[in-house]
Amino acid sequence: MAQEYLILDIVIWFGLYLIVCISLNVEYGFGGIPNFGRALAVLIGAITVGGIVNRILMATFGVSGGIVEASGLVKSVTNEIIAANPAIGIGILVASLLLAALLGAITGALFILPSAKLSEDYLAITLLAISEVMFMVSYYNTDMIGGYYGVSVPNVLAFVPGEQRLSIFALIILLIAFLAYLLVDRVTNSPYGRLLRAIRENEMVAEAYGKNVMVVRIKTVAFGSAIAALAGALYAYYSVNVIASSFSRVEWTFYPFLMILLGGLANNKGVIAGVLAFVTVKVLLMVYKFEITAALHLPFEAVWLEYIMFGILMLIILIYKPEGLIKEKPIMTDPIKRLVDKIKKAK
Amino acid sequence: MAFEAEVLEGAIIYSNLLVLLSIGLTITYITTAVPNFAQGSFAVFGSYIALTMLRLFGIHPYYSIPIALIFGGLLGVAVYLFILKPLIDREAEIVILMIATLALDLILLGFLGAYSDYLGGITKKAAKKFIFTPYDFNIGNISAIFIVSIIVIAIILASLFLLLYKTKFGVALRASMENPALAEIMGVNVEYTRIFSWFLSGSLATVAGCLLPFRQEIVPLTGSIIIVSIFAASIVGGLASIYGALIGGYIVGISESLVTYQLSTILGSGVLVYSKVVSLIVLVVMLILAPQGLTGVKWRKIKWLKSILS
Repeated sequence: MAQEYLILDIVIWFGLYLIVCISLNVEYGFGGIPNFGRALAVLIGAITVGGIVNRILMATFGVSGGIVEASGLVKSVTNEIIAANPAIGIGILVASLLLAALLGAITGALFILPSAKLSEDYLAITLLAISEVMFMVSYYNTDMIGGYYGVSVPNVLAFVPGEQRLSIFALIILLIAFLAYLLVDRVTNSPYGRLLRAIRENEMVAEAYGKNVMVVRIKTVAFGSAIAALAGALYAYYSVNVIASSFSRVEWTFYPFLMILLGGLANNKGVIAGVLAFVTVKVLLMVYKFEITAALHLPFEAVWLEYIMFGILMLIILIYKPEGLIKEKPIMTDPIKRLVDKIKKAK
Repeated sequence: MAFEAEVLEGAIIYSNLLVLLSIGLTITYITTAVPNFAQGSFAVFGSYIALTMLRLFGIHPYYSIPIALIFGGLLGVAVYLFILKPLIDREAEIVILMIATLALDLILLGFLGAYSDYLGGITKKAAKKFIFTPYDFNIGNISAIFIVSIIVIAIILASLFLLLYKTKFGVALRASMENPALAEIMGVNVEYTRIFSWFLSGSLATVAGCLLPFRQEIVPLTGSIIIVSIFAASIVGGLASIYGALIGGYIVGISESLVTYQLSTILGSGVLVYSKVVSLIVLVVMLILAPQGLTGVKWRKIKWLKSILS
């Protein structure tokens, strides 16, 4: 039984992180935009569920009062309705995901505005600063999503018996991750994806060809943030609560960067490999943290060890294997294919 | 706008410390072209040195400043030699260097967190969250930290000025900041100047960290919160100018403290936690109006200013 939970945990985290990592891969891997504020989009997804959907439900059922207490009440009322009528549960889930994607896109586009024209270092600094400040505000402000108290979220799978909930949720997350992957794979293999790589390689040339780099950047971050927000909303429904402290920079900005660099930049298959490798190690660390602390006689919590290990892993990748597990491949458009054939024939 | 003397005093103390941090960030940005995302954690490293000295040896944090300075400098040099130099030698892009400093920040956070658990365990006193204000005293009517922070910043600025403008090494240092390739041709060892800049940056940050607990509560994660203010200060100043960092540090430090205080008198003390929002707004406004920072603005070319002056 314990093993089953372990596998489910890995599947769930794999799905969530895959969604975030492919979104980051579009922005950084393909577009060269160092979005050090990835956590912000994920947080927006969670705010959509914990702050907005909860308030809509509060208004629907006429519940008033502070969001922290009211969300608990709304949760029990909604759960009963969903238990009797599965379609409502699925409807709430789908509507929340769409809303999260929309809000993610809007915030992504808005927050890159001040720095879209600037060089990479300014861009990274600004995005990180905005994300950090939003994280702090949503943690200290108890009116938005309950701050450090957190808020409850309805169980959209209330109609499913308790013991099956986790496996079905894992399937839903995997399904959405798969759909997001297909979408991103198509987009990055389109002319737009090639334009992104062109801008990454040389902004000036792209501009000389009449492309507006700033607009492309804004669009890309909006697209990436929309996808990343899905992960935030899913995570909120999976854990049936939202607390701002779960959306830290380490978990949702640094680790995704680690995974895409591990797997290989600008390479969607590489991202899968990177996420799978990372998540397996991370979940094992999470599950066996007490055993590890005891076995090594650590005089401190295992989470610090996790930070040190993953930080060092990142440096090792950057210094010794910057191309990652799977290298970026040249784009095989028809003219290039013909060229390759010609060269092969000539040999 | 009337401020109580205490609030103004606090704002100046905080700004002095922020200036130390932003000058450090700017110096390494000039020599190595990478914004150091771990600068905030460098400061927390300093805070923990001061805490260790206090708890284990009973040394007052003010006397720990020289020790923190040396350890911080060594940390800076180690970071440059073992992390950044291998990457620069491989001609890594700036984003890769930035990610490396993010990784460094995480490693430092891990070590500081682990150390705080350990220190708390052996001293049986809270080390995960601490503040030095009970250890401060008054000199006359003024708190010691106010005087100490002013003395520290005066000494550091004076010695920095003497070093950069009155010594041969300083000339070489400035030359390699302006134009590394040309300086190298003239026989300046650019590598030394880079190592030195990291020593300086690390030591300034840890000195600031030594004094920071007199102003605010320190937790291992403090670095990732204060980094917003440091970046805002450096960008307001223009990221590539030491004077800019000085001006930017005071602008951001003072506005962060005073604007938040002013708001708290209107909206209640709940807004005090939003001080970083003020920094962020200053940063964003600056990026929109003058992305090159205050020192990058060509003041003489601004027409309306000209008409006022003439």
